[in-house]
Amino acid sequence: MEFLGFLITQCLNALSQAALLFFLGVGLTLIFGIMRIVNFAHGTFFMLGAYVGYSAVATIGNFWAALIIAPLLVGGFGAAFELAILRHLYRRDHSAFLMVTFGLTLIMGEAIRLIWGVNALEVAAPQSLSGIVFILDEPFPIYRLFLAGAGIVVAIAIWQFLDRTRLGLLIRATSQNAEMVHALGTDVRLVRSAVFGIGCGLAGVGGVLAAPLVTASLAMAPNAVIDTFVIVIIGGMGSFAGSLIGALLVAFVQVFGTYYFPDLALALMYLVMLTVLVVRPGGLLGKEA
Amino acid sequence: MTTPFTRRAAMRAGLAAVAAPTVLRYARGETPIRIGMPLALTGPAAEIGEQMRHGAEFWAKQVNAKGGLIGRPIELHIEDTTGDPATCVRKAQLVVERDDCHLLFGMVLSSEALAVVPKLAEWNAIFVSSDNGDGRLTGSSFVPNFFRANISGPMETRVISLWLRRGEMKNFYAIGMDYAWGHNSIDVFQDEVKKANKNFVGAVFSPIGTKDFSTYITKIRQAGADACFIVMQGADNNAFLSQAREYRLSDKVQLLTSIVDLNSIHAVGDASIGLVGSTRYTFTIDNPANQAFVEAWRKEYGAAPDVFEGEQWQACQILQAGIEKAGSIEADKLRPALETVAVDSIKGHVAIRACDHQAVQGGYMVKVVKQEGAKTPAPVIIATYPGDEVTPACRQMTFDS
Repeated sequence: MEFLGFLITQCLNALSQAALLFFLGVGLTLIFGIMRIVNFAHGTFFMLGAYVGYSAVATIGNFWAALIIAPLLVGGFGAAFELAILRHLYRRDHSAFLMVTFGLTLIMGEAIRLIWGVNALEVAAPQSLSGIVFILDEPFPIYRLFLAGAGIVVAIAIWQFLDRTRLGLLIRATSQNAEMVHALGTDVRLVRSAVFGIGCGLAGVGGVLAAPLVTASLAMAPNAVIDTFVIVIIGGMGSFAGSLIGALLVAFVQVFGTYYFPDLALALMYLVMLTVLVVRPGGLLGKEA
Repeated sequence: MTTPFTRRAAMRAGLAAVAAPTVLRYARGETPIRIGMPLALTGPAAEIGEQMRHGAEFWAKQVNAKGGLIGRPIELHIEDTTGDPATCVRKAQLVVERDDCHLLFGMVLSSEALAVVPKLAEWNAIFVSSDNGDGRLTGSSFVPNFFRANISGPMETRVISLWLRRGEMKNFYAIGMDYAWGHNSIDVFQDEVKKANKNFVGAVFSPIGTKDFSTYITKIRQAGADACFIVMQGADNNAFLSQAREYRLSDKVQLLTSIVDLNSIHAVGDASIGLVGSTRYTFTIDNPANQAFVEAWRKEYGAAPDVFEGEQWQACQILQAGIEKAGSIEADKLRPALETVAVDSIKGHVAIRACDHQAVQGGYMVKVVKQEGAKTPAPVIIATYPGDEVTPACRQMTFDS
């Protein structure tokens, strides 16, 4: 009975972690799928989400409003960046994107430091979610249940969006053959801006949702960006379902691995990645490289 | 042309107004007291660097408003080291050679201070530390031009161990960040627990940058200890405390910490309530000097002074007393003066001892509580230990009993 309670709560922990990782990974993989670029600044958009979320909570006093406003602002900023800068680089080789997005992380990081200061900032979970429930005598935070739920809802929403809507269709088509879509009369450049904005907005959602767990701090970006790359590499670059599976795999391995082998905590994620890369070099659901 | 007030005239008038005080000052032969302050203002240690800068700037402003120190104005030369020892040495050399500073504050990290101290004799400079914790600075790496105004790392741990001996708790667990500081601190803590005839039931280490602590919190719950000692800082510390609160960990286990500072209390809010730990300084220390300091600080910055702001202020008081006593800032005259300096500081009586240049001072255990009417919780003192109990023997880092 005791073990069952432990098992259930740890699984829920892993699910809530997977949700946060998924918000990061899915944006990065969507952007890669359609633009063939690695967005180095993805972790920084995640961090920006947390800081904008903090300011939104501080001015409006409502977490839910912040959860809507912050991702919109972060996504809007991402789309604007694509329009203003990235758009001019598609003819260049990939190193240009690496340098530009890496430069963006430095500039954004410094700007955040200047605007919000070096001290970590508290973002409290909404009152309604800050309690605990007991699952077979094991206490479990309601906020984490909410995270797990939010992850599931957003995953379904993105899947339906890609599968059922016209923009989703265009995104899938562009990721398969951008020139053909362009030849058929669709402005591929607009699709790219939209996807970059949506990807950054999703990272922003992750940032707001993570803030009550880790506080809004300058350490968020470097911590997040590595996890995100690992997930996307495990799942396969450009694969939506791959990022979901990658997030779940990494979260479950982290939670149970850290419990049974705490000394290996840092290495576990990379061991999974290595194993996947040896067996399937393109990632679990990626195209074979 | 009826108005002679042209742009050129205005500029001349403006220049004269700006230049006047400087001209007057130098006319009386008062060259400023130049203090170099290499600080980590960016990078992971920036929070502490900012605090130290505030502390020193506040002091310089107050001293200059009263006509300066031994009749000379204070001038701070601040440089960013990013928390890197090599950069720190370079920046320290810069302020010594370019700006002619032979008094130094700053060096946020002990690794930076350890890199700088061997150069002090060559530079003919005196360095008064306000936050370097490493015991070696007043031990095996001691140099005559180094003074430590702050509580050292071994002294902080000593305070916790003295408190443990008198407490009721029997079984202890520990969690630390997985690098040198975390392991060292927990080793020392484990020793102290054993010396106090209590049980150390185990420890777990989390990699730097851990975001999800749910598994670690489960392990702490399952260990069945009365208390858990936390050795974490920065983002990891904030994440751990926020999540410990989520899981109501402190309902079951008393959380002890090696760091109680206002920054992390502000960052995690109510999640800090109930934390017990040793602190180098807290604005709630009850003595007239501290009350006056806190009041003046609030007027200037609109908030209570944090740990390293208070520690920096104390270091400034000690340097000031030394300079007043020596009547000079020449290293050869200032060094013997500083060696016997004693001040009634914001932490009570604080005296430098000549044998290793450590400031002997009391240690504090605090508990974070929510106070009536205050928005954020604050650390209140639950135990005070006198300087002779918490300071190790000369040039030592450990305690015999």
